[in-house]
Amino acid sequence: MTNKQQPILLLPTNEDTTGPYFPTYFSDESYEDLTQIHSGVIAGPTGQHIILRGSVLDRNGKLANGVLLEFWQANAKGIYRNPSSENHPDLDPWFDGYGRLRSTTGEYTYRTILPGASKDRAPNITVTIFSDGINRIVTQIFFANQKANEIDPLLKTLSDQDRKRLTAKYEGPSPDGADVYKLDIIMAGDNETPFFDDFLS
Amino acid sequence: MTRIGRQLSIGKTDNTSDQRTPRKRLRLIPTDVRESFVPVIPAKAVQRQNEWDLTRIAQNRPRAEGSPIEVKGTVRNENGTLLRGALIEIWNANHYGRYRHVEDHSGLKLDENFFGIGRVITDEYGNYRFWTISPGAYLARPDIGRWRPKHIHLSISCGSSRLITQMYFPNEPNNASDPMAVLMGDSFDRNLGKPYETIIPEVDRGYDFDIVVGGKNAIFFE
Ligand SMILES: [Fe+2]
Repeated sequence: MTNKQQPILLLPTNEDTTGPYFPTYFSDESYEDLTQIHSGVIAGPTGQHIILRGSVLDRNGKLANGVLLEFWQANAKGIYRNPSSENHPDLDPWFDGYGRLRSTTGEYTYRTILPGASKDRAPNITVTIFSDGINRIVTQIFFANQKANEIDPLLKTLSDQDRKRLTAKYEGPSPDGADVYKLDIIMAGDNETPFFDDFLS
Repeated sequence: MTRIGRQLSIGKTDNTSDQRTPRKRLRLIPTDVRESFVPVIPAKAVQRQNEWDLTRIAQNRPRAEGSPIEVKGTVRNENGTLLRGALIEIWNANHYGRYRHVEDHSGLKLDENFFGIGRVITDEYGNYRFWTISPGAYLARPDIGRWRPKHIHLSISCGSSRLITQMYFPNEPNNASDPMAVLMGDSFDRNLGKPYETIIPEVDRGYDFDIVVGGKNAIFFE
């Protein structure tokens, strides 16, 4: 990644499974719907509202109950709120881009805005899955009918089939005007979703 | 040297691990898209009053059953940078090995004075401290008699540093057969709390647990 190799000083604590009982007590609605800051406040990010939904499935096609999903994306103009964009004029004051939800059943519904295309990327949302039985696994979800999908540098590294496994299907608008996209994530097995390594490489 | 993604291992005797562990080797993230994979968690952590003390459900309430313990330590990344204002979400089973989670159907005894869920935030030196009840071990696989050793779940969020882990207790008979502990190998030691005697009358014993976020949890932004 970078040429300056930082010396590793400390040995990391091992990741461990989240177990089946991540407390729903820690749930925060403002992390499950990024389109509004709070229902009683006139404030929200710029962009097309979307609903991303689907199922997280295990090797036997069964719902992976109790998964904790974390989402990360750029704002409508394609800018991530991270330390390298600190003073960027296109940051949206009402959008951080981080979301989190725990799904009791394994089905998920996440409300956000359609991310903009960042640099040469196609619009995408990074999804981290924490669950019982595994340490975290990570992937990126793309959206059907986006021209930039054809030139995305990550999608280009994948087979046609794997690209399909990461592309959410458009299901039409919801009654309140959000575009609904659906993608099932398959944790293991024949139709497995491609997951990416978290090494700094 | 060509680097390739990891092939994840399946925890032995762990059915969920068998059902949920990807079988394909992980794909390496192309260098030029690496940054897009690193969430930066907004600093808006909350905690309610007294959540650092899991031994009571609220201040001035009776103590939960079992042995009250203190857990403390620092949170750093592997470069040694102290993580200030890090949110630590904590959950552990009660003295009898039961969680107050609606999905815990074990039927083990609940303790009316134990909630088992709390949050703390690290101070300006990256320090944290909480009290809880020493958790009971619980039978994870009744069919083969495998127990989950005593453990405390910890979830750490601080900017681009993210870790979900468990603290274990030294010399517990079930440590050796725990599927995830087995996968950790020798580095399991890093997930052990180090006991210390404490003069605080409110707790029986203390455990030092210094947390280092790193390894496969890449540090991208300091
Ligand atoms: Fe547990």
